[in-house]
Amino acid sequence: MSYPRWLWPALSAPALLWLGLFFCVPFYAVLAVAMGTVDPIFQTPKPTWNPLDWDTSAFSFVFDGLFTSGGPFQTVFLRTIVYVVVALALSLLIAYPVAYFAARRAGRFGTLLLVGLVAPFFISYLMRMLAWINLLQEDGWVNDALLWAHAIDRPVAWLDGRASSVILGLVYGYVPFLILPLYAFLDRIDERVLEAARDLGAGPFQTFRRVTLPLSAPALLAGSVIIALPMFGDYYTPDLLSGSPRTSLIGNEINLYLRGGQQIPVGAALVCVLTMLLLVLIVAYLVAAARAARRLR
Amino acid sequence: MRHPRERRGLDRRDFLRASAATALGLAGSGSLLAACGDSGGSATPTSSTPATGPDTAPATTEAPATTEAPPTTGGGDAPFQLARPHSPVTLPLFDDNPPPESGLEPESGPLRVYNWVDYLWKRKLKEFGEEYGVEVELTTFYTMDEAITKLASGAVEFDVFFPTPDRISRLVAGKLLRPLNLGYIPNLANVWPQLQDPFYDVGSQYTVPYTVYTTGIGYRTDKLAAAPGTLANPYEIYWDEAYKGKTFLLDDSREAISMVLLKNGITDLNTEDPTAIEAAKEELIALSDLVNVKVSAEDYTKIPEGSAWIHQAWSGSMIAAPYYLPEGTDASVIGYWYPPEGGGAIGSDAMAVLRSSKSPVLAHQFLNFMLDEKHAYENFAGYVGYQPPLTSINPDRLVADEVVPPHLATAVVRPSDFDRGYQELELSPEGQILWQNAWAEFKAGV
Repeated sequence: MSYPRWLWPALSAPALLWLGLFFCVPFYAVLAVAMGTVDPIFQTPKPTWNPLDWDTSAFSFVFDGLFTSGGPFQTVFLRTIVYVVVALALSLLIAYPVAYFAARRAGRFGTLLLVGLVAPFFISYLMRMLAWINLLQEDGWVNDALLWAHAIDRPVAWLDGRASSVILGLVYGYVPFLILPLYAFLDRIDERVLEAARDLGAGPFQTFRRVTLPLSAPALLAGSVIIALPMFGDYYTPDLLSGSPRTSLIGNEINLYLRGGQQIPVGAALVCVLTMLLLVLIVAYLVAAARAARRLR
Repeated sequence: MRHPRERRGLDRRDFLRASAATALGLAGSGSLLAACGDSGGSATPTSSTPATGPDTAPATTEAPATTEAPPTTGGGDAPFQLARPHSPVTLPLFDDNPPPESGLEPESGPLRVYNWVDYLWKRKLKEFGEEYGVEVELTTFYTMDEAITKLASGAVEFDVFFPTPDRISRLVAGKLLRPLNLGYIPNLANVWPQLQDPFYDVGSQYTVPYTVYTTGIGYRTDKLAAAPGTLANPYEIYWDEAYKGKTFLLDDSREAISMVLLKNGITDLNTEDPTAIEAAKEELIALSDLVNVKVSAEDYTKIPEGSAWIHQAWSGSMIAAPYYLPEGTDASVIGYWYPPEGGGAIGSDAMAVLRSSKSPVLAHQFLNFMLDEKHAYENFAGYVGYQPPLTSINPDRLVADEVVPPHLATAVVRPSDFDRGYQELELSPEGQILWQNAWAEFKAGV
């Protein structure tokens, strides 16, 4: 029995349609807003759909701020990258052992542990951050606990515009989305591969370093991408946990320009620049993932 | 421009409600829905222990010479004139958009009200509905931009809208508002004379006032060595290194930059002079280094909970602030400074009937209802905290009624504040860009 040649490509049609409708068209709309103007009366964005009429002044303004040393957009972009990289590294340090334990050592309690870890995250992100405000206040429970344990002499002003609070907020907010793919992957590692490693004389550490870790590379990459992307767009975590201009992220600047006024195209241009940066990261991920997959074969 | 009622999707008031709902045994997102669906308890700002006024120091700021430039028309082809107190605007009337005829019976409704979040007591809507035998529906928005975008799209239809004065010219030019027939609104006579005929809408052709507020300095009387009012220039309190980390500005380009302008003796809060704005921006950036200044729009919770000792604040927020104090803390810890002799930043809100309204007469009745002595007062004292500009409302009465503790009488707006105050108004497109970019640079933390 043979299938018509067009069948398999045709099966990708829904996905392509989805991509077109929900990525390409909206992205073109954002670009058209960035290249457009605002309505003189209502100041609503007026996208310019025809590329021949595009007004690039919003982009030149953004690039000015981006490529001037110490410029506002350069400052927030660099800060955003640093925060996300640090938050991602911390998330990996936290998520991997937890996922490893749940998948390989917790036995029948593994699933239970996972549900327990993920349960708080059914509550809205905003609500959890608001809860952190209460916990981190100077008379909050975190300070109370640390004082009780004599870890500190006097209350720490956690909400005093600290980079550390914002980064920890990002970690807390997104870490379960890293644990889940890692767990799913580690749970499926073939026990026989590990036994083979041990048979060939590898100790537990060597087995981990030379077998488990390389095997989980695709999951680490996928999980990292899943949490890094929303972190790059985050703006409410610094708003809620800091409020200091010294911790604002690129999302804050985008929000500032997009929320209204004469310069909505600048906000849209910032969105485009951020999207381009993320696109580079995604391509890097795809290349790395393909390489990792080839190595495993 | 940010507005006192402009909040995030979920603010701490919602959070407290949601926490209470969770405590009642509702789970997960269910509690969120419950919290959002109901306005919960009223924010009645009452105080049982009137304290002595700690900050009634004599006024020391003299009003500098007015440096206001003649208003620009907002670019070459601006479709409207920028309203200024010294250059009032009579809004245009259009033949295809007449006010409703006199002597009509109110329509049968429903009345659809479009207002800020938490800016109207639901009980008042209910009472209006009962009095006129109509259904009343309240829809809320979070920002003026969001509201205008939706109205301009034509996708939504409401009867009553609450525009800020800086946007009224735009709304009229875009023909979104219906001219008023003041014959239906006799209660306009209850309003301060100068707001019966405001400079932004001469003759109240399209709008009537709703609330007034001032922007001053909110502070903790128990934490500050000296109240702002005791300083030669009270605005300099933000630069005091003793309060490092406890100093907040309103998260708004216009309010924060205006504060620096006022500190520097510039009273034209609508200036489009790049030198003045640039200097203010540099001072704000320096403030970041000096006291690690932070920005927030939660003046009404940050001061009561003590995370802010000094917070640029709206008067209405400070009237509501005692409600947010931790249990057992006396309302006397909250202070509010506004130039006692006037001459600070002021703001106001208006009510209007939308052109798309299918019940314009009923909408007029609602505007009249909200300017009624009893209803306006209860709406303010019972829930909103932002004061209607009625001649019958004054600091003495509010203190006597225990709506405001005596030492917070500074947060009550007087008609003279509006004669001597400076309002942040619509700028030309170039001016907006100037202010917004200065603010964006400060907010980037360069």
